[in-house]
Order: sequence, then C-alpha cells, then structure tokens
Amino acid sequence: MVEIFPKLISTLPITLSIILTSAILGLILSIIITALRIKKIKFLSPILEAYISFMRSIPILLLLFIVYYGLPVFFSLLNMNMNDLSAIVSAMITLIIFNGAYLSEILRPAYLAVEKGQHEAADSLGYTPFAKFKKIIIPQMTPIALPGLGNAVIYLIHDTSLVFTIGIVDIMGKANLIMASSYGENKVEVFLTIALIYWGVCLLSDRFIKLCENHTYLRKIENKRTFSSKTSQLSHKFNKRNIKSNLD
Amino acid sequence: MFDFKVLLESIIDIATVVPKTLALAIFILLLSLLMGAVIALIQQYKVPLLSQIIKVLQSFLRGTPNVVLLFLMYYALPEILTFFTGILGIEFDANSLNPIVTVILTFSISYSVFQSEIIRGSILSIEKGQIEAAQSLGFSFWQTFRRVIIPQALVAAFPDIINSLMVVIKALSLAYLITVVDILGQAKMVGALSYRYLEAFIGAALIYWLIGAVLTFISNRFELKLRRGFH
Repeated sequence: MVEIFPKLISTLPITLSIILTSAILGLILSIIITALRIKKIKFLSPILEAYISFMRSIPILLLLFIVYYGLPVFFSLLNMNMNDLSAIVSAMITLIIFNGAYLSEILRPAYLAVEKGQHEAADSLGYTPFAKFKKIIIPQMTPIALPGLGNAVIYLIHDTSLVFTIGIVDIMGKANLIMASSYGENKVEVFLTIALIYWGVCLLSDRFIKLCENHTYLRKIENKRTFSSKTSQLSHKFNKRNIKSNLD
Repeated sequence: MFDFKVLLESIIDIATVVPKTLALAIFILLLSLLMGAVIALIQQYKVPLLSQIIKVLQSFLRGTPNVVLLFLMYYALPEILTFFTGILGIEFDANSLNPIVTVILTFSISYSVFQSEIIRGSILSIEKGQIEAAQSLGFSFWQTFRRVIIPQALVAAFPDIINSLMVVIKALSLAYLITVVDILGQAKMVGALSYRYLEAFIGAALIYWLIGAVLTFISNRFELKLRRGFH
C-alpha cells in the first residue's frame, strides 16, 4: 500500500485540474442558464427545461461517451476537423455541461427564496441593478445555496473518477496500469488506497465549504445570537442556582 | 454520419434490458431502504459503538466514488467470503460469485446511509401530537406505528424515494464495468456490433430520459393523491 500511494498520488494534478476547470466554468454556465430561466424568454425556456431534465435523467458515464464519440461528428457537420480532440477536453466539456444543469437547479431556488420585498426595497432606495445584485441579492443567496454547492462539489469529485473510461490516465487509469504490470496482484490494496485518497479529497472540500459557510452574513448573525443566548442561558442557570441556594 | 434507422434499431435492441435494469434497481432500492431503516434506528437510539462505526462509514461512503467502491467490492468480496467460509468449513467457491451479487451488495450498502437520512427525516417530520393522539385513543405501539406513523412518513418520503430510485438506475450504468449488462452495457454491446457507438449511446440516453420523465410524472401524480388521502 505504501509503495502504490506515491504512484497514485502523482496523477492527482490531472484530476484536480479537471475538477477545478469544470467547477469554475460549470458555475459560470449555470449562472447564465439560471438568469435565462428566471427571465422566462419565450422560445428559450422550453429548450432549457428540456436540457435540464435530460441532464438530470441520464448517467454521467453515458454523457461522457456521447460527448467523446459525438463531438467529432458534430464538428465535422460544421466542416471542422476535430478528430484529434483530446480526451481530457471532452471530459471537461462533459462535466461543464452536466454541472451547468445541476448547479442551476441549486441556484434557481436560492434566487427565488429571496423575498420580493427585498427587490422592491432595493429598487425604491435607488440601487442600480448591478449594485442591488451585489449588495442585496447575492449575500442572501449564498447561505441558501452553499450546502447544495458543497454537495455538487463532492459529486463532481466523484464524477471525475469515471474519466478513465475514455482513456485518461487519472488515478483509476493509473490503478489499471499498476494492476496490469503486476499481473493483477494486490488489486484490493490498490482500490483501498484510491478510496482513501478520494475520501481525503472530499473531506478537504467539505472543510473548505464549511469555512465559506462561516463567512456568510447569516452565520455571523447566528453566531452572535447563539453567543448572546448562551450568555443568557448561563445567567439564567446562575440565577436558578442562586434561588435554589436561597431556598436551601 | 448519423443514421436514424440505426438509432431506431438500437433503441429496440437496448429496450430489451430495461425490465432487467428496473428490477435490479427496485431490488437494490428495497434492500437499501431496509438497511437504511436499521441504520436510522441505530442512530435514533444511539447504540454505543455501532452508531460511531456508522458515522465513520457514512463519511467514507460519502467521500468515495461508486466506481471505486464497486471495484473494491468486486475484488475484495471473494477474499472476504473465502475467509469466512474457511472458518465455518463450508465448501464454497467464492471466485464463481455472480457479479450481479456484487453490484446489488455494493449499491445497497452505499445507498443505505442516504436512505437512512430520508427515513429519519420523514419520521421526524410527523408531529408529536399525532402520536400522542393515537396513544390517548388506546393504540398499541405497533398499531401506532402501522396506522399513524407509516402512512404519514411514506407520504413525506415518497418524492425522495422516487428520486433515489432514479439515482440507483443511473448508478447501475457503472455495472457494465464488472460485466453486468444494464442499459448502458447493452448500448455498448449494440454499438460494438455495428461500429455505430454514437447512435447506440443516443438511443440509451433517450431511454434514460423517458424513464426519468415517467418517474417524475409518477412522483408528482402520486404525491398529490397520497396527500389528498390522508388529510
């Protein structure tokens, strides 16, 4: 297990680069999609709903295959030669379009959860749309959306473990190579090591999301409240004890 | 490049494994619900040692991808079984274990911790007054459980259960990696026969989409019906 670990961890940069690229670009795509869905444009919204339901109901592995085999065909219809599109790019495209749909399902309820009165109040105070969005809407959206986003990051990390099926040498691909070179010995140790690596990565990302959650305005208010309620509880206890001691 | 006739043919070919996939998914769902109920009970009553083990297991299963778990079980299960059967002295060739058993076990275990959350949430969502009312009417524990708690918890949990059925169906697409043929595995085989992978995969995607749409429809329809029935 100790011998395998450095070999497997050396492929982590590939996985991490896929995760980071598709997380950031997927978030941008999902923001665009959410904005378009909220605006309710006549012909675009049924298409977007179909896109979301399609992405929600097909497995990521299938989407990966469709993009990998389908993109060259799609580009050849446009008279572009993309036959040497690398597997990593198609993996990234897959995860971006998948996450665009998934994250928009998290962001839209979060946006809709902000009360209408907040919009009206901001408008009546003369905020520009951009300032309103930045100072009023986003701070209220983040505490609602963050737990969902944290889950999405975990699922994204899980999904990147599938990219070995289209020939990318990530951790799983490396594991297959190691097993092939050792004639299929110590398979259990290899996969146990991989499981531990993924567990570690997921725990780290969980920590990161918790850290973000502690910086939202809601949590700050909550902390203040719990602090004050704790002190009040303490004083309450203290008083009770005093009364009791008086009674004694 | 893209042939609609091939697409239609491959959809028909792939549709033959849909019943098998659905049956497998429902079986896994029921098994994981059963295990989830046990886990929820253990957590509710805070059984010492077991509840700590389950906490670690929960974190592990949340942090590990299904593929890794599947391969881990695929390679480790025969060794574990030979170990136990060796102790008990039973003649059993663990290497001839059917991969379907591995798939069922892996997904049941990995989803049981999520189902336990659903079950816990749905039981906690029942008002205390309901149980008190049942007790004041002289219901026994089992009567309360069967006539008051279960009907209401089921309504609360129904959308989540349908959703997790969809999740299990999607997760079964990994089963082809250990030679169990489901919708995706069949698509891969159909594609390999005709060298037309794209049509086969798009056919499979359409089938998955249809299943997803039907399940969403069922969820919405029956949720309304169940709600009406009990209020």
